[in-house]
Amino acid sequence: MIILFVVLPLIVAGVLPLVGKVSRRVLPDLLANTTLLFLLVYAAVAGRALIAGGPILQQMPWLGETVNIRLALDGFSLFMLMAVSLVGLAASLFAIDYMEHYGAKANFYALYLVMIAGMNGLVLASDLFGVYIFLEVAAVASYALVAFGLGHDELEAAFKYLMLSVAASAFIVAAIAIIFGMTGSLDFAAVAAALKELNAGPVLGIATAFFLLGFGLKAALVPFHAWLPDAHPSAPAPISAVLSGLLIKVSGVYAMTRIFLNVFGLTPALSTVLLWLGAVSMVVAALLALGQKDMKRMLAYSSISQVGYVVLGIGIGTPLGIAGGLFHLFNHALAKGLLFLTSGSVQQATGTRDMDEMGGLAKRMPVTAATNLIGALSIAGVPPLNGFWSKLLIIVALVQAGHPVFAVIAVLVSVLTLWYYLLMQRKAFFGQLNEKWAAVKEAPFWMTASTVLLALLCLGVGILFASTVSTWIQPAADVLADGIHAVTGSWGF
Amino acid sequence: MILQTALLIGMVLFSVLAIALKDLLKSAIALAVSSLLLGIIFFRMNAPYAGVFEISVVAGLITVLFVLTIALTKSGDEVRESRLVNWAFPAVFIVFLVIDALVMKSLLGQVPALASGAETGAFGDVLWKGRTLDLVGQIAVILAGVFAVLALFRKRDKHD
Repeated sequence: MIILFVVLPLIVAGVLPLVGKVSRRVLPDLLANTTLLFLLVYAAVAGRALIAGGPILQQMPWLGETVNIRLALDGFSLFMLMAVSLVGLAASLFAIDYMEHYGAKANFYALYLVMIAGMNGLVLASDLFGVYIFLEVAAVASYALVAFGLGHDELEAAFKYLMLSVAASAFIVAAIAIIFGMTGSLDFAAVAAALKELNAGPVLGIATAFFLLGFGLKAALVPFHAWLPDAHPSAPAPISAVLSGLLIKVSGVYAMTRIFLNVFGLTPALSTVLLWLGAVSMVVAALLALGQKDMKRMLAYSSISQVGYVVLGIGIGTPLGIAGGLFHLFNHALAKGLLFLTSGSVQQATGTRDMDEMGGLAKRMPVTAATNLIGALSIAGVPPLNGFWSKLLIIVALVQAGHPVFAVIAVLVSVLTLWYYLLMQRKAFFGQLNEKWAAVKEAPFWMTASTVLLALLCLGVGILFASTVSTWIQPAADVLADGIHAVTGSWGF
Repeated sequence: MILQTALLIGMVLFSVLAIALKDLLKSAIALAVSSLLLGIIFFRMNAPYAGVFEISVVAGLITVLFVLTIALTKSGDEVRESRLVNWAFPAVFIVFLVIDALVMKSLLGQVPALASGAETGAFGDVLWKGRTLDLVGQIAVILAGVFAVLALFRKRDKHD
């Protein structure tokens, strides 16, 4: 019943506003978090068994009639489902305490679950238009969630995000229309088979360019990144965590990778474009992050830089490069989710995001400081944390594939990353305690618990990296490395 | 062919007007006219359902919503745009037209006539049986929209 990943959050979202009339806090908290916990357990326990015999495809009956609800679950989608459920649950646990002062908690959870349903639907979709429609589901919910605080900055950021996101959607729809015009189909398998026979160079080139623009905007790759440093910091902390940790990866990187590698097939030219896009994003965003005073804004720029690593890894196109890219996607989701949550704890305790005003907070918030340090070191790629291994895989893959220059850039950006994260750690948590914060207390239970959960995961995945890679990452990388055979071979109905 | 070209040019012109006009009411009406022309083009290209939806929803319903919203705003809230915006749009538009004129004709020749795949069929069949997952997506989008309105227009009381 893989449709549960889409339908269950939608149903719960539908009843939440009604439940909110009865109980303002406890029931919505319980209902939303239980739903996400259930999805996580289901993905973790049943997922591997489901795809043990190859990808599964389900065609659902609807009210007793056979209709065309086709969902596909393979190694790649299962891996993404795991990432979505894991970070989604952590952020939603954090929201139990954090969203108290925003009000309208039931509505918040309803929007949140619709966003999760959109991401899950996108990951399970087996045709191009399905990808588009679930991308919009997640996007529409996320516009509202960015603006949830209703302040001037939030509304402005949400509007900017909306405008650029709509442009992205327009390019994606245009590309889908071109593909449909050429092949007469939207189904991944049928499109991949038809394109192979059609040999439509220039038209396919236009479609590829449109997809690159659209998904590049969604993934906030430089030069399409202008919206992200406004939108992500303005959102409430759990939403920032999900936007940076998951949404840009699902609606940008996942969709782009699935279509380019499994439907179009990765050509050398496309591989070069992806390598350059990744490298430019890495470097430019890391330099921009270095100059930030606003804690969440620095994290937002760092997200762009790290998505650059992911695209760089996948762009290599070799099995090792793809595995490295996907592993980094997962690690960044955990670590950046964690960092946005800790920044939320700090913002709630001090009322500011300006790092110059902070200082010495480690004395007042030891757990938050420690978890923040783990997240920062993980993203910077310090062993034995998880981020180290994924960056190592990407760099080794770059050298193996004969791109030593990109490998050197990746190492240098990693040093830069360590630099700005240590700067953040020093300004915010270390040093003399600023007297203003003498009365600051550690964050409430659920906020601390969810950051500790993510920090432990960063540590655990780092130590058990070999088994994580072989259990979750390798099956996903295999699907992508298989190219169009992955969908034309076994995805037929 | 001449009628078709005239319709297309008219659609582009009214779209440009919708962006360029400073008066919101006129802009909304220009958008409606542009969408009406698009609807007629849909009819002439054997896509009657697309035409019906375009005219009734986009040209009709959405224009009514726009006009209602504009009627609720107060005059005097002038928004100043930077000069960049004033020349950026025409510049981009001209560049687009040039690229269009140079590239599109040869490109269009290469697009094969719409292949008839498994997804063609009667309109109702396609919508309800062929694209059922999209309907689930539609429900989700509508839910997201409703919750967004509920959340963004909520009353903010101090204790909640």
